[in-house]
Amino acid sequence: MNQPAAIVTQQLTKSYGPVRALKGVDLEVRRGEIMGFLGPNGAGKTTTIRCLLDLIRPDGGTVRVLGLDPQAQPEAVRACCGYLPGELHLEAGLTVESALRYLGRLRGGVEWPHVLQLAKRLDLDLKPQIKNLSKGNKQKVGVVQALMHRPELLLLDEPTSGLDPLMRREVLRLIGEARDDGATVFFSSHVMSEVQEIAERVAIIRAGTVVEVAATTDLAGRTLRRVAIRFREAVDASALGRVAGVTLLSSPVGAALQLQIEGEMDELIKAIAAFPVRDLEVERPSLEDAFVAYYGARESEGG
Amino acid sequence: MGTIFRHTLSRMWAQVLGWGLSFAALGWFSVWGYGALAGQTAQMAELLKAYPPEVLAFFGSVEQMFTPGGYLDSVFLSYSGLLLGVLAILLGSGLLVSDEEAGRLDLIQAYPVSRTALFAGRVAALVVALVAVVALTWAGCALGLPGSRLGIGLGALALPFVSLLALLALAAGLALVLSMALPSRSLAATVAAIVLVAGYTVRSLARVNDGLAAVARLSPFNYFQSGYAVDGLNWAWCGGLLAVGAVFTVLAWWAYQRRDLRVAGEGSWRLPGMARGR
Repeated sequence: MNQPAAIVTQQLTKSYGPVRALKGVDLEVRRGEIMGFLGPNGAGKTTTIRCLLDLIRPDGGTVRVLGLDPQAQPEAVRACCGYLPGELHLEAGLTVESALRYLGRLRGGVEWPHVLQLAKRLDLDLKPQIKNLSKGNKQKVGVVQALMHRPELLLLDEPTSGLDPLMRREVLRLIGEARDDGATVFFSSHVMSEVQEIAERVAIIRAGTVVEVAATTDLAGRTLRRVAIRFREAVDASALGRVAGVTLLSSPVGAALQLQIEGEMDELIKAIAAFPVRDLEVERPSLEDAFVAYYGARESEGG
Repeated sequence: MGTIFRHTLSRMWAQVLGWGLSFAALGWFSVWGYGALAGQTAQMAELLKAYPPEVLAFFGSVEQMFTPGGYLDSVFLSYSGLLLGVLAILLGSGLLVSDEEAGRLDLIQAYPVSRTALFAGRVAALVVALVAVVALTWAGCALGLPGSRLGIGLGALALPFVSLLALLALAAGLALVLSMALPSRSLAATVAAIVLVAGYTVRSLARVNDGLAAVARLSPFNYFQSGYAVDGLNWAWCGGLLAVGAVFTVLAWWAYQRRDLRVAGEGSWRLPGMARGR
């Protein structure tokens, strides 16, 4: 029997007074996948995640998390979820150990040896008080508490924020291992490289609306490519500028040319064949390029 | 709920001991002082006549000032209701909103704990904390009894503290419900404190101005028996204070059920309005 999707939202809306934070978010996160949630600040990423946990109540639309309605069965939903807020705040006077023990008791069913194992992997000292921790170490506490009960669904708001590169890598490994154990991961991030590294799919939210859901590789590969051409001799390659989707980035006259192309390369390659080519280099865009390009295009469309 | 109760109480113990032991010491000194005052009642009465009645009104009934109940009221319990009321307001207004303003409630409520369980666990801890502060204060007064000439037993001495506890429950409930309705904890505490001080002032001035009697009936201090409860507790007044406190608490629970938990940066700090019901 097919299990319901891990997360489904339909026409989810939420306003804060006159500010419309979500304007009809449609989203589906499949079981067992890692989905990255991208968007600029204020786009609605955190608001969406908080609706999933019934921390805030949507004005309209429907939400299902693991087949459950968070408003009707909030405790059941939260029992299956591990949550890392974007701005993690813990009681300053507690030690790391007492904070984690308290959260473990609150959740119930947490195996302390597993907590110790997670802390060890993240090189997290349990003795200091929370108030004496750096931002990165506080973030490690947040990661441990989100993973400590082996949740079915991980909702992570900027999980690697404040971590050094080594710890960032370790957290990404932990997320990958959680997925390998059957968990679904839905996480927001501003670090495109890490989304590209671990997420199978990406949802892009802009101004309260999901504007794109795609496989990470598709999104990265579909849009802009930079092409650098070196000719055997100086040529006038103005004709290349007339190929659909091509924008010339350097002068068309000379022995070298740089251009970018959006969409398929077929027509461009055929056009290039008319010139004496010494070398041709196509640079695959990073997800960041795709993201920036996507927003750039939409910004100009929207005026 | 047990975990929340114990954890909340552990966060309050320093305030409980600080306020409780301070008022215990003050209570002990006040009760003990009755012995010294008892031999000079005539001189004291003469001295008090020199004060304007508006000032004396804040110290209770001059005629009864040298009875055990009147003495306890004027030298200790009357203003204790006001000062410990401030503690109740601080605890009540911060019970949920201090964590919310600090950004901690977002994480706690993402755990499998219902809003009702969180609310109930914290309110239970608040009640225990207030009972502990009042019990410590009573114990301090009780320690002073052997050296004083008040001539009352421990049971009779406990009755004003039952009345005090009811007043504190009302103050805490008021602060709690205001914290759910107003945009910040500090504003809720300020409004609750204004209500408390205004109630105390109106009730005191009503002793010398009959025109204020009707307004004074709205003051919780009108139903706080203070030291006079040693002669017998008015259970209806006491129950009334507790009932109003309970109504405030239920309203706060209702609001918390429907509330959007706020976090900094969400753009909701200025908008404490309720979310739509389910």
